[in-house]
Amino acid sequence: MKIRVWGARGSVPAPGPEMVRYGGNTSSVQLLLDSGEQLLLDSGTGIRTLGLSLAAAPRVNILLTHLHLDHIQGLMFFPPCFRSDAEIAIWGPASPEASLEDRIARYISAPLSPVEVRELPCSVSFRDTPPSRWRIGSATVVCEAVNHRGPTLGFRITEGDTTVCYIPDHEPVLGTELADLDPEWISGYDLARDADLLIHDCQYADEEYPAHIGWGHSGMSDALTFASRVGARRVLLFHHDPLHSDSFLDRLRGTARRRWEELGNDPALVEMAMEGGELEVAGTALPAGVPA
Amino acid sequence: MAVMAARAQKPLELILARNLLTSLSTPAFLVDEKAQLVFYNEAAGALLGRPFEDVGRMSPEKWISTYGPIGEDGEPMPLDDLPTTRAIRNGRPAHASFRIRSADGAEREIASSAFPIVASERGSSGAMILFWPTNDQGSEGDE
Ligand SMILES: [Zn+2]
Ligand SMILES: [Zn+2]
Repeated sequence: MKIRVWGARGSVPAPGPEMVRYGGNTSSVQLLLDSGEQLLLDSGTGIRTLGLSLAAAPRVNILLTHLHLDHIQGLMFFPPCFRSDAEIAIWGPASPEASLEDRIARYISAPLSPVEVRELPCSVSFRDTPPSRWRIGSATVVCEAVNHRGPTLGFRITEGDTTVCYIPDHEPVLGTELADLDPEWISGYDLARDADLLIHDCQYADEEYPAHIGWGHSGMSDALTFASRVGARRVLLFHHDPLHSDSFLDRLRGTARRRWEELGNDPALVEMAMEGGELEVAGTALPAGVPA
Repeated sequence: MAVMAARAQKPLELILARNLLTSLSTPAFLVDEKAQLVFYNEAAGALLGRPFEDVGRMSPEKWISTYGPIGEDGEPMPLDDLPTTRAIRNGRPAHASFRIRSADGAEREIASSAFPIVASERGSSGAMILFWPTNDQGSEGDE
């Protein structure tokens, strides 16, 4: 499996000269399966440039963790939406309040948008997704509700012996301590358990988290404690706060690697997500410590 | 690693309920969808005379035999009449007053309200049960 990051920022796009390396686009990850199919995780503003890279007549599956704007804002600017030969399936959290299509249409409709969902020339389907397991091509997808603000899913995607887990917005430490907590009481535990790659919320540096308790995101050490508790082999810290500049994130990366090592893991296996970054992910056949 | 082992984790709504209960000073229990006791908070531990860590999860039958609830009619309360059982079985809130024998030997009168925890299409994943001691001071307004 190959991962390409098209947007690693959280909350709101954050362009600017001090954000060049980690990038300013919001959540968008492309997962290229060994079978040649692909899954697009979230549709933050990074999905616009992702869409430009796709071949003609694309068939894409977009998995939405939730409908906060930083995860759907790019949808209206996703080039395949405007191609009549494109087939797009959008999976996202079910809600008792309204269908997925109706909730997304609140954004893709007047006065926020110049087009309506029904006017999109592509073939688009909306799949309201309760916690469940299903297959897309050669991959098995499992989704579960995780602790964030509002209905939010995390995804576990397995192809062959390789598993990637994506939980970009997550505050598993809210109201509890992760270090000694029984796994059955840890939000996201089953999703992320033994993942070869965990892409996880790291919105805050540790010193920033206390001022943001209950905002639905993780501080760096909590993200790594979660990753360590679930036994993730490799961690990609994601959903960077819009205030975090390249130099800030470089320093946070150093701290994260030391923290990961303190937790008994190989420091080379934790990385900050970077727009334009690519990773090969392989199953656990590789000995621990060898970057895949 | 591709293999997904058997489910280890509780549904999110139970996890959040537990996190809420840990921060309440109202005695409270949490049961799963089979009415098995899976957690109670420190305030409930004080009421029962023993912290949850010493007791662990418990079936409803074990709970009845340990704490021997006596109903308002003076008779041992059958399992089916407990608010917990009614909330889980009927999917509706339930309330009752009864006496229990706590681990320290004291008898306590309590009022108990149970309400089901329901999330998404999965249906009820358990119930939250709140307790109010009714033979202590400050119980005015309780039944
Ligand atoms: Zn977000
Ligand atoms: Zn969010």
